Amino acid sequence: MIANYLPLLVDGLADAALIFFVAVGLTLVFSVLRILNVAHGSFYALGAYLSVVIGTFLAGRGWPVLSLGALVISPLLIALMLGPLIERTLLRWTYGRPEALQILVTFGLFLILEDLQKLVFGVQPYSQDISMQLLGTSHIGGIVYLNYQLLLIVLAVMVGIFLRLLLKKSRIGKLIVAVVADEELARTVGIDAPRVFLLAFSIGVFLAALGGALASPTIGVAPGLGAEIIVLAFAVVAIGGLGQIEGAAVAAILVGFTRAAAIYFAPEFQPVAPYLVMVAVLIFRPYGLFGSIGLRRI
Amino acid sequence: MTSLKAIATALLLILSAAIGSASAQTNKPAEIGFGIFTFTSGPAAAYGMPGRNAAELVINQINASGGIGGVPIKPIYVDEGLGTDGVIAEFRRLASDNANQVMIAALSSANCLALAPVAEQLQMPTFMWNCDTHQLFLKDSYKYVYRTNSSTVPEFVADVLYLLSVDPTFKTIAIINPDYAFGRDAGLIVKETLKALKPDVEIVAELYPKLGSPSYNTEISRLVSAQPNVIFSNFWGADLENFVRQAAPRELFARSKVILALGESALQHVGTLLPDGVIIGVIGDGYWLAPDAQRKPQTRAFVESYRQRFNEYPVFPSFKMANTLYAVKAVYEKALAINKDRWPTRDDLVAAAKNLKTDTLTGTLSLREDNDGLVDQIVGVTKKDPAYPFPVMGEMVRYPATMVTPPAGTDPIAWIESLKPSILATVPKPGSYK
Repeated sequence: MIANYLPLLVDGLADAALIFFVAVGLTLVFSVLRILNVAHGSFYALGAYLSVVIGTFLAGRGWPVLSLGALVISPLLIALMLGPLIERTLLRWTYGRPEALQILVTFGLFLILEDLQKLVFGVQPYSQDISMQLLGTSHIGGIVYLNYQLLLIVLAVMVGIFLRLLLKKSRIGKLIVAVVADEELARTVGIDAPRVFLLAFSIGVFLAALGGALASPTIGVAPGLGAEIIVLAFAVVAIGGLGQIEGAAVAAILVGFTRAAAIYFAPEFQPVAPYLVMVAVLIFRPYGLFGSIGLRRI
Repeated sequence: MTSLKAIATALLLILSAAIGSASAQTNKPAEIGFGIFTFTSGPAAAYGMPGRNAAELVINQINASGGIGGVPIKPIYVDEGLGTDGVIAEFRRLASDNANQVMIAALSSANCLALAPVAEQLQMPTFMWNCDTHQLFLKDSYKYVYRTNSSTVPEFVADVLYLLSVDPTFKTIAIINPDYAFGRDAGLIVKETLKALKPDVEIVAELYPKLGSPSYNTEISRLVSAQPNVIFSNFWGADLENFVRQAAPRELFARSKVILALGESALQHVGTLLPDGVIIGVIGDGYWLAPDAQRKPQTRAFVESYRQRFNEYPVFPSFKMANTLYAVKAVYEKALAINKDRWPTRDDLVAAAKNLKTDTLTGTLSLREDNDGLVDQIVGVTKKDPAYPFPVMGEMVRYPATMVTPPAGTDPIAWIESLKPSILATVPKPGSYK
């Protein structure tokens, strides 16, 4: 009996893993900068594009194994190039401003990045699945799965644990938590809050780009990718509670399972499944599963 | 003296305007604008660009040989990636310019359904080069809209006939199509055809993922777990390529007999992932290695030019576009002959298109009384060929258009329901098209 539902479990978790990378970055940025970043999905798309381009280049030079490295190098490059640039030149002017203005600014940024992406990578779809092929397949519940899909689940768990440890145990994490808890007080005790903002935003960019890069071997990369994922990430963040890392993880699993279950049992509901979950959660818990008014957000 | 000069100038202007006007009515224009609609961006571009590439080649070739009636074609390409609203806006903009005499639109069935009433309203001759949905002429009849290819009914009925020829004993089928008119229509046609010809078949899964979906991994798990004997899909463009890339390593093609109704368009990109024996459709007769195509020197020259220019062989969307352009040229030539070389108006063009029968690069195209096109259907299976680095189509069948197309004026689904299993004894067998 359990074996019958094993594929559903694996599909749900694999889907949840990819959503988690993006949603956790979005929620981290919100918790520190208090900005709901509409452009977050663009970093996911850029991560996917750059990873495909670098991976294809490496594979073309006879180094297919190195294309696995491209999955980490690409988001790192994007975070280093775009994170500080965008935070310092654009976002810092919106801190403390009305939320509507912040959303408009990040929406403008989203449009710019979408066009930039078309300018740099063109409008044709890309694909590069060497990383996926390298890792082979496994049989689970009578169904062949890509080991790469299973790796994604493991990586998502590792990233979740790493983030929690980073915030709880490391000096940087403690500084972030201090700024989140009370920015004014943090500044008075000498914490360089602008630097913490920059760091947190860059980590958020990295996580989004990592999600895109890790997704790229299993998907087709084409314009519109960023818009699609950001809508889903917003739903996940709303379900989990804005600014809640554990909330993002639980919500991603919930959405992943719901989407997989819809495909198995009621395919007609698959496109709306995440949003039905969101509506159901928000009716009973308007601040999300882990959210609450006035409490520390991280 | 001044007033005399003014009067003379005015007369001269009026005279020249009158001459100019008369000239515009009777003489050939300097060029004729063709609005050409296809996807050149996004996931659909994998299917749309071969159409655009073919348009570029054919128009260059027509212009190099003197144009149409001595007038060169000026193509204006419109990206359907704009979305339906944007496509309609562009269509209206182009139609408002009298220099644009013909629209070759569109690729997407959804865009075709939206554009047809607009074309009618603007009285713009529109030749639908790729839209397959049988709904196009189902409820409305049009004067200015023609379809220069076949519709979903002959295309998918042919696939089912082929399937029943190669595997008459299968019991279960799963369907996975994109979630819009084309995918839903195909699902309905396949189910109705099976109900008429093999009613004991059970549909074990029916999935309609979003058009342009980047990942099908969960759908693939669902298909594998349903264990169907046969899987039917009319994915196209990047959707088709993504599906094949994701499904092949997960042994989907090894576990079920798969029909990829538009599979020929992806053979050169992902064909190496497919085993032999996958049923491949062409939706029409535009296969570059088909015997009819190979017999025509003009087609062989087109294939070679295409390969040299774009570094790959033309796929069936390329032929749909090329055949449409040659059909429009034939319409112009017919209109010019009827008009005794007076340059045709838009109304002259649509009148000339009625009941046109013309040779194409890959066979013949007949435009019926109801403006719908009649085109033969080629279906085959993947087969490795040492001459090419990708599989080609083997065991081909060429179903005559009249055999698989509902007659004009009949309800397509009612026509499918009227099919009898005895038709299977009369259809050409796999491998008969040589």
